[in-house]
Amino acid sequence: MADLLNDQIKGQVRDVFAEMQAPVQVLFFGQKDNCAYCDDTQQLVTEVVGLSDQLEMSVYDLAKNADVAALYNVDKAPGLVLAGKSGDALVDYGVRYAGIPSGHEFSSLINDLLRVSSGDSGLDVKTREYLKGLEEPVLLQVFVTPT
Amino acid sequence: MAMESEWVQAEAIEATEFQELAARHYVSGVPNTTINDGAGRVVGSVPEGKLVQELQRILAG
Repeated sequence: MADLLNDQIKGQVRDVFAEMQAPVQVLFFGQKDNCAYCDDTQQLVTEVVGLSDQLEMSVYDLAKNADVAALYNVDKAPGLVLAGKSGDALVDYGVRYAGIPSGHEFSSLINDLLRVSSGDSGLDVKTREYLKGLEEPVLLQVFVTPT
Repeated sequence: MAMESEWVQAEAIEATEFQELAARHYVSGVPNTTINDGAGRVVGSVPEGKLVQELQRILAG
C-alpha cells in the first residue's frame, strides 16, 4: 500500500516533532474482523511514529491481548493509547483515541503526542488546580469527525 | 485534562465509526463531549473553563 502521508505533510510533522525531548509510546489496538479502519489506522500511526526517534509503537489485538487492553481501558478498535515513558516503564495519562485520527483529528494526534512528550497539558493554572483536587473517576468522551 | 489527574481519562471517538455509541449519547454535531457516560455534556468547541463548570456541576451532586 502507498503511504497515506505525502512528503509535504511528513516534512511538516517532522519539523514540529523536532522539539520533542522525551519519548512517547503509542499503543495500537486492532482486531481481525469487523474493523473498517484498523489497517489504515495502523499504517497511519506507523508512518507518524517513523517521523521522530522519540516515538515508538507497539501493536496489540483487542481480543488476543485483552489483558493489555483492560490495563489501558481500551474497548474499541482501532484504538490508540498515547503513553509517556519513565525509563522502561510506561506512564498512562489516560489519553486515548478510538477510530482513525485523520483530517482534523490528525492535527489533534500530533498535538497530543507533543503534549504527552513534554508532560505539559497546556491548561490554565486554575483548571490544573481544579483537576488536581479530583477524587473520583471522570471519563471524558469527545465525539469528533474527520471533517 | 487527563494528563493533570490520574482520575481523568479522555477518549477522542470518531463518531462515524462508532455510530451506535454516538447515537446513544445523542451526538448530532461535533465536537460533543460526554462526561461519565452521559452524566454531563458539553456541546461544541468550548473554552476549558466551560468544561470545568460542567464537571463541577455533575460532580458536586
